[in-house]
Parts: sequence; structure tokens; C-alpha cells
Amino acid sequence: MARTALGRVARPISAGRSRIARLDLDRSLVQAAQADPARFDALYRKYVAQVYSYAVYELRDQHEAEDATARTFLSALAALPRFREQADPAEGPEASTFRVWLFRIARTTVAERRRALRRHPQAPLEAALTLPTPGDIAAEAISRDEAGAAWRAIDRLDEDRRRAVILRFVHELSTAEVAAILGRSEGAVRVLVHRALRSVARDLRGDRQSGR
Amino acid sequence: MTVRPGGHDEIEALVVDRYLDSLLARRPVDRASVSEELDATARLLTAALPRFHPSFRFEEALASRLATAAGGGPERGAAVIPWVDRGTTAGAADRSGLARPVVIGSVVTSAAISLAGAAFVAWRRTRPGDPMSRAVRAIARTRIA
Repeated sequence: MARTALGRVARPISAGRSRIARLDLDRSLVQAAQADPARFDALYRKYVAQVYSYAVYELRDQHEAEDATARTFLSALAALPRFREQADPAEGPEASTFRVWLFRIARTTVAERRRALRRHPQAPLEAALTLPTPGDIAAEAISRDEAGAAWRAIDRLDEDRRRAVILRFVHELSTAEVAAILGRSEGAVRVLVHRALRSVARDLRGDRQSGR
Repeated sequence: MTVRPGGHDEIEALVVDRYLDSLLARRPVDRASVSEELDATARLLTAALPRFHPSFRFEEALASRLATAAGGGPERGAAVIPWVDRGTTAGAADRSGLARPVVIGSVVTSAAISLAGAAFVAWRRTRPGDPMSRAVRAIARTRIA
């Protein structure tokens, strides 16, 4: 059995195992934070925007997203001594198992909140996305109508497809990372994203034909 | 969702996945590998779905809160954070989020001074006061009447 840089025994990586088992780019930061929790700040600064953005898409409310982000990082800090890297240095520096672990905590936190919010009406995605996003050059490059149509189409997707698309397109996670976060196989995530894309394309075509 | 291993759907999904890997990594993409419509949709989503950033104030407040927790402070773990029912509260002023413990500390101090001032004025207005003050108020009342 291989021993990771964290001094823990790693499970052998079989050929069929998820591609997520790679060198964790955050290894040194994680090691430092595990040795001295005061150094968790570097990991926090690196991922706070991603976790917050994920929460905004899920909860459609800035304040709810802030609460969820706080809970996620406080939980992560408390659980950090138990975090186990599942990386194999031979597979290359592409993915972070810490990021996957953090997003799993965020997903659980957000799911808990969403269950509680079921009794309240939820804002449409479009309402959340109309918040100012300074510096987002790409978003400014397309027309507001196009963006609105895309958001409406995303909003019509079922939760699994929407979540997979957001993680893939907004956070630019690999299929392996999305699969690990959602607890699905990579094949299932690929199909989810593919079907979501086809569904959005169909919706956009319908919008254009109806002149919306 | 059931995915049949090696099925047509999965093979097509694999091709799209490779295409997305290149697109999202800003590498040259093989447009011929996917339909024109799918290519346009993927490009639109890449540009239309923004990333959100928390406010500086929130970020710094949470950083301070984490530093406190890292030092073995009372906020070790998230279980101590109550969720706020926003269905019954109004606006950011009622938030129980992060900003309160550190950033809002000074605001709370200012608010406390203002409240003390308001309470003092209210108390003074209900007091009978000295004879001269009573006389002045009586004259003012007759003028208003």
C-alpha cells in the first residue's frame, strides 16, 4: 500500500477507479492546516468564492448563500483532522481531492437548508443571476436576452442535471470531480451533462422560434 | 438515472465530455465532434453563467470567525450556527450570518450609544423638570393652542 504525503495509508488505485484519484494540488496547504489550524486561512481564501457561488446557484439568495458558506467552512475546519487525501502522485497534477471534499460538505449543507426552505417560495434563477457580477467580461460579451434565455432554460432542468451543469460550466470541475461530489459514476455524470445540454439547446431553439 | 454501459447515449456523452474538457480549458476544440447547436449552447452557457463572489465584508468577517475557531474558540464546528428563518425576518439587518461578530461589532457599539441617547431623551420628556422648564412648556402649549 502506498503511503501518502499526509502519512496515511492510501488505498490502492484500481484501473476502474475514478479519475479523481490524482495528486492533490492542495496537499501542502492541507498539511499546513492540519498541523496548525490557524493556517486554514489559505484554503479558505482559495475556495471561498467557489463555495459561495455554488451556494448562490443552489439557494438563489445572497444571504442564505453566506450562511451556507460559513457553515461549510466552519464544518470543514472542524473536520479537517479527519480529511484523508486519496491522491496518487503518478496520475498527474490536475484535481484536488480537498476541493471535492469541501464541495461535498457544501452540498450537504445546502441540501439541509433547501429541505428547510421547501415551505417558502424560491426565487427563480434569473432573479439571483441579475445580481451585479463586476469584472465578468464573458458575461458582458453576450446579450442580456441571450443570457436570460439560457438562465430560464437552466432553471427548467431537473435538479440533478442543473447541478451537474453548474458544477461543470460555472466551477469548471472535471467530470471526475463532479461525479465524486454528486456521488455518481463518471459515466452517469457525462450522460447527465449531455442530456442537459440537449435540453437547453431544445429550449433555446423553441424560444427563438416563438420569438421570445 | 440508469446508464447502459457502452450504450449509444454514453458514447455520445463521452464525445461531448471530451469536447467540453477542451472548451472549458480554453484549448482549441474540434467543433466537428458535436453538432453546431450543441456547440453554440455550450459556448452560450460558458459565457452566460456567471460566478458569484462574496462581499469583501463577508469574506473578512468569516476569515476572522474561522481564525477564532482555529484558535479553539467557541465556534469550533458549524453546529453552533442557527439557521435563520428568512420567511419571518426581513432583510439583511436580521441576518445571523457571519458579519455580526467581527465587522458589525463597532456598529453595535454605535447603535447602543444611539439607543441610550434616545432613551435619555424619552426619559427627560416624561420628567416634570424644574419650575422654569414647566413654565416654558406651559407658554409653548398656550401658543400652539
